[in-house]
Amino acid sequence: MRLSHSRYPVLPSSFTPQQQSWKLPRLMQSLVLLTLFGLMMQICQADDGQFPEVTWHGLLDLRYQHSDAAPSELEYGLGKLRAGGERDRWRVNEAAATLQVRLDWDWMANATVKYADRQSTPLDLTEAYLAYRPVGAAGWRLAGRLGMFFPPISLENTGTAWSSPYTLSPSTINAWVGEELRAFGGELRVDYKTQAGDKFGVFGAGLANNDTAGLTLAWRGWSLHDFESTLTGRLRLPDGIGIPALFPKQANASQTFVEVDGRPGFYAGIAAERPQRYSLRALYYDNNADPAALSAGQYGWHTRFWSLGAKAELPWEATVISQALTGRTSMGELLGDLRAVDVGFWSASWLVSRPLGDGRFSVRYERFGSDERDYLPQDSNGEHGQAWTVNYNLTFAQHHQLNVEFSRIFSARPARQERGEAAYQEDTLWQVAYRLFF
Amino acid sequence: MASRLPAVFLTAWAVVAPAGELAGKAVAGGRPLADLVVAAQALDAAGRVKAPPAPAAMALDQKSREFVPHVLAVRSGTPVYFPNSDAIKHHVYSFSPAKRFEIKLYSGVPREPVHFDQPGIVALGCNIHDWMLGYVYVSDADYLAVSDAEGRWTLDLPDGRYRLSFWHPDAAEQAPEQTVSVPAGELAVTVELKARFPTGKPPASLQNQGYGDGF
Repeated sequence: MRLSHSRYPVLPSSFTPQQQSWKLPRLMQSLVLLTLFGLMMQICQADDGQFPEVTWHGLLDLRYQHSDAAPSELEYGLGKLRAGGERDRWRVNEAAATLQVRLDWDWMANATVKYADRQSTPLDLTEAYLAYRPVGAAGWRLAGRLGMFFPPISLENTGTAWSSPYTLSPSTINAWVGEELRAFGGELRVDYKTQAGDKFGVFGAGLANNDTAGLTLAWRGWSLHDFESTLTGRLRLPDGIGIPALFPKQANASQTFVEVDGRPGFYAGIAAERPQRYSLRALYYDNNADPAALSAGQYGWHTRFWSLGAKAELPWEATVISQALTGRTSMGELLGDLRAVDVGFWSASWLVSRPLGDGRFSVRYERFGSDERDYLPQDSNGEHGQAWTVNYNLTFAQHHQLNVEFSRIFSARPARQERGEAAYQEDTLWQVAYRLFF
Repeated sequence: MASRLPAVFLTAWAVVAPAGELAGKAVAGGRPLADLVVAAQALDAAGRVKAPPAPAAMALDQKSREFVPHVLAVRSGTPVYFPNSDAIKHHVYSFSPAKRFEIKLYSGVPREPVHFDQPGIVALGCNIHDWMLGYVYVSDADYLAVSDAEGRWTLDLPDGRYRLSFWHPDAAEQAPEQTVSVPAGELAVTVELKARFPTGKPPASLQNQGYGDGF
């Protein structure tokens, strides 16, 4: 008698211990993708013919921008937007599609592919993960994710492909999350749900490929934009502040999602939620990177921070979202008790939003800053600033959304003087966006 | 043929117990209030002259990713079917003490109904669509009604004295019980709601549909 092997779940070979693969980020990425694919194939072959169930959502974002701002990331500058200068621009800002494949009642595969203006690879992944979310007995529920995903920091970016229903540019905190943070690993979450629907939970994740996180906060500082880095993404470094002279081994761009030292990082946190009333999240993140490590032109940046977020529904149909983040990033060998770059950073934002007429009106104020304590005074990385963002958007027939947004950022960053600019700058951005959701 | 049966049955019942009617209107903040449950307990023998018919099967549909109706009132022992009118799947569950269950809904009507045997409030959720929220109000009361979109409710019952109790999922405090003698004029019931948040509705924009933040 022969046993039918297909009846038994066979773990894909990529489930072998991953220690060797930490040093090989590309290989690890491939292994994670292979694992996802393997599991998908396994579950697709289950006896129930009604799975997998495939759904997809997407977003097309056409944008007009008028900026009056200092040169920014796209111009290798230290401005606070993504693109500076005094000019008008029309462009396809972003086009994204999220594919969701429900493999069975508990498992779902989720991937988002995105085109964005001047993205280093025109079409690339922003997220790809396998999610496990069964109905838990007696109010307890275990959930998990495996793959590449955003750490649960933003309370604004709840829309298709990580867009925000409130503003076009997310806060400085969430712009940084989009730019430099992604977990490549596994996340587990345990929730207890009461009779009234209240949820309390703890969560944690082990992660890799996030060793350069913190670089842009140190060298360029906080910024306000809606560009999310992708799997193979690279970010431009600011010119004229002496990076090649002081760090000749640094490549001319930061590879955002790379494993430099083979040491896994983690985050852990707690969450509480009363549906339709409030949501609270606190999280500690530590990429556990070795600050002395260097691999293929990318330094390890030991970045750790606390993140706090609160969202509340208030009377008068007002929604308030407040987030705060504070931490440190360190890079370079120890010299005495100092490193080459050691920057403390913090930011806090307050957003109020409410329906107005047929649309939604949102105002956000935020403050941000950083300071340094390292042995390279010529590499000056401190700053402080504040920003206002005002948005009004109208949604038609569930699909079409018209946005008008104004942002103004006031910031002082001494390093700008090395570029022959004034340390204090005021950046202004007007945006009109048509967004199609499908 | 089958569709005619209830009408025949109701006619027969009406002959045995001359029907009275108690009607009312539910209001919250000056606006009509839907989904208010009105439960009537007969206080004298007249009301129980004829016990209401044995619980027949009822249905609570999933349509456009909502529970329809949002609130279903049933007598204890009623079997309830959970059909799925959407093209996508739903995973309906409840952890309420009155009835714990989990039902995996493909398109169409599942073969087995869920039996609600114990009185109590059963809160329904969908594991796939977190915002979906529904309620089954299970009661031993003699007569039950739920207010419609205009806030109107009607109980078909024999003349007599009744104790009325009320329940609404979003009430800050449930409306107090009342004793009425039928025949009576239209009853006005005012409820103060916790807040004017739309609960259990799908998001108004496709931007927020099917994504959440993945967490």
